[in-house]
Amino acid sequence: MFKLTLKKLALSAGLAAMMLPTAALADYPEKPITMVIPFGAGGSHDLNSRVITSIIPTYLEQAMIVRLTPGAGGQKGTQEVANAEADGYTLLFTHNYVDMLQQYVENLPYEPLEDFVPIARVNYAPIGVVVRADSPYETFEDLVAAADKEPGSIQMSHSGNWGALFVPAAQIMKARDISLNLVPYKGGGPALQALLSGDADVTMGFPSTLSSQIEAGEVRVLATAGTERIFDDVPTFAEVGVEGDVGFMHRVLLAPAGTPDDVIATLTSAFEKLVEDKTFSGMMGRLNETIDLLDGPTYQKMREDQAIAYSELVEALTK
Amino acid sequence: MLEEFITGFGMAMRLDTFAFMAAGLFGGMLVGALPGFTTLMAMAILLPISFFLEPIVGIPFLLGVYKGGIFGGSIPAILVSMPGTGAAVATSRDGYKLTQQGKSRKALDMALFSSVFGDTSSDIFTLLMIFPIAFLVMQFGPPELFVVLLLSLVIIAATSGENPVKSLLMMALGLWLSFIGTDPLGGVERFTFGIFDLKSGIPLLPMLIGVFAIPEVAGVVMRSEGVRQLSSLVGERLSFKEFRASFKTICRSTAIGAGIGTIPGLGQVVAAMMGYAAAKNASDHPETFGEGELEGIAAAEAANNAVNGPTMVPLLTLGIPGDNVTAILLGAFVAQGLRPGPQLFEEQGATVFAILIAMVFANILFLGIGYLSIPFFSRLVQIKTSILIPIVIMFAFAGTFVFRSDNFDLLMLVAFGIFGLIARAGKFDVMPMVMGFILGPPMEYAFGQMVAMGNGSTMAFMFEERLPALCVLLATPVIGLFLWKRMQTVTKPK
Repeated sequence: MFKLTLKKLALSAGLAAMMLPTAALADYPEKPITMVIPFGAGGSHDLNSRVITSIIPTYLEQAMIVRLTPGAGGQKGTQEVANAEADGYTLLFTHNYVDMLQQYVENLPYEPLEDFVPIARVNYAPIGVVVRADSPYETFEDLVAAADKEPGSIQMSHSGNWGALFVPAAQIMKARDISLNLVPYKGGGPALQALLSGDADVTMGFPSTLSSQIEAGEVRVLATAGTERIFDDVPTFAEVGVEGDVGFMHRVLLAPAGTPDDVIATLTSAFEKLVEDKTFSGMMGRLNETIDLLDGPTYQKMREDQAIAYSELVEALTK
Repeated sequence: MLEEFITGFGMAMRLDTFAFMAAGLFGGMLVGALPGFTTLMAMAILLPISFFLEPIVGIPFLLGVYKGGIFGGSIPAILVSMPGTGAAVATSRDGYKLTQQGKSRKALDMALFSSVFGDTSSDIFTLLMIFPIAFLVMQFGPPELFVVLLLSLVIIAATSGENPVKSLLMMALGLWLSFIGTDPLGGVERFTFGIFDLKSGIPLLPMLIGVFAIPEVAGVVMRSEGVRQLSSLVGERLSFKEFRASFKTICRSTAIGAGIGTIPGLGQVVAAMMGYAAAKNASDHPETFGEGELEGIAAAEAANNAVNGPTMVPLLTLGIPGDNVTAILLGAFVAQGLRPGPQLFEEQGATVFAILIAMVFANILFLGIGYLSIPFFSRLVQIKTSILIPIVIMFAFAGTFVFRSDNFDLLMLVAFGIFGLIARAGKFDVMPMVMGFILGPPMEYAFGQMVAMGNGSTMAFMFEERLPALCVLLATPVIGLFLWKRMQTVTKPK
């Protein structure tokens, strides 16, 4: 730590003397970059990051090291990066619900919009509403009608409060003015198991992880997120009256606010090259993950929209 | 089906499969033996390697890391009383006592043999009964999980010490400690006093190392055992007679472990503790348990390894990962173009059987690797005390830190170390506290789910839809009282 500060001092002294503020930073990255993941081992972020960090050194000419810092629902790792130096050597790999929603339900030791800038959105996963094949709900409208008739009687399993399955469920409830009984499970796997065993009547799931159940004819998808159909005969959220950025989990790389522009430019161009890489797309494909890169400024606009949508959602749910 | 089984058998018999499995087993064992490094981390890091291997090589490689890692965890538990995971706590109890008596090699041998026996039998059981197990798994939901966890805690408290009131007190303390942090369901902060570090709760690893390893180290220093004659002896290897004497216990624990593995969400900690409690209860000399009883190691290790087979079932038959280890395996399967789920057996039956058969062979392979490595590990206790103690302290701190690089965890380690010393002085057993701490959160979660499922009217919900779970719940105090009385009558007269 001390050494680092010394080095910084020497560096900035040299810089001041030369009056060339960008010359030294052109060397970025001159040491390995740490990618902090605020979740535990074995999750989808962990697996995605292993693929990213095994290929990206080719384009950064430096290693990228994954550091898992789970705790307090993602806040521990996020706080660590918020407090880290904005030099591009400590980055955060997170998703939109932890990034933008948590600020409205808990007291955070950081300000997500002010303390972070997005570098890249690597990919996103659209969610679907799923029931068992023998369920009486043939269509999304059947489900809505049943929920209308007996509010709170339909059990919906999800992966944890304010998580990737809970939020879209809540957004659907708000958009269609229905009430489901939301039961938390420890992750998407147990939530799906609850559906299959009959404990839950409906759940949410990412079609990529559900493909074997769908093919085996054990579950039926009633609607999928977005405006474009994923399955030919299944309506989208937009078609059933749930509009906006609902039901997408965006996997994003953030940096502490104040990170120099040329550092961000270096990282951005590395990610642009990464997504063109054949090995990378092959490995991601094998994990059943999509690649859909968005650059920082584009995603920043989405973040700001998410902030508004989530704050309204939380207000509506907790009033 | 049989045809695929035979094809699978042929597929598994490959030299590179065995070579990679051996590498995974040995590497996993080394990583598992280092406190602070978990097998889960090792598996996540090695996962991309498996992408480039064939399915029948890559997946057995990861399974090797997993199996090696579980046994690796029992090495520091036995040699220096430093259990790295909850599953090794029961082993550490008798294991370290045996090390102090100069029988560390026997203890490690027993841990190896009972682990391999428990694992192999549960793998074979899984292989044969995969579809009935898949059916059973579906019968367990949050209410069942809750009552089984509650029953486990009652059994642990009732059988742990001669003074059940003290055990209960310690367990209540452990449960309370598990409440500190953010409530897992509602996200409300509890007992954090606004301290951010406490928001994610008290970390397990510093507690384990603190209450189990630090008091042992301090004890050696305080008694100023300059030259520890006892543990400078590595001791003899385990004799066949000793193994046979524990054989019944190993079989019982294997059955308990396999049964617990069938219930999603319970896992190795419960299995080890239940296997241990059952062995102690069945023994005609329960007072030797916890004082260096080989049978105690056998009971715990056979049970926690027997969990492994059945936990693979939801992954293979439904494509649902029950925990993080199976989530990584799911990643490996998917990357290989095998999509675990209902159709896996129809489409890729031979490959799946090949992997399961490789799992069984991994155990046999591990028996050899472990047997040859034990003399090397047990040398550790031959190091001079004046050097060993600083090394143990270094590993205690380094292991705590490496887990998530947090200074707060080091403070916790010191705090729990001091607490462990005080508890020992007051003759309070820390085991019930640790078990309350580990099993409290899943029990609370299951209870919260149950309340949510019943929409508030929990009792009515249980009565209408979950009658078996309700019966177990009502029987729990009776079982606890019975076990306690029995423990009293067996131990008292002596």
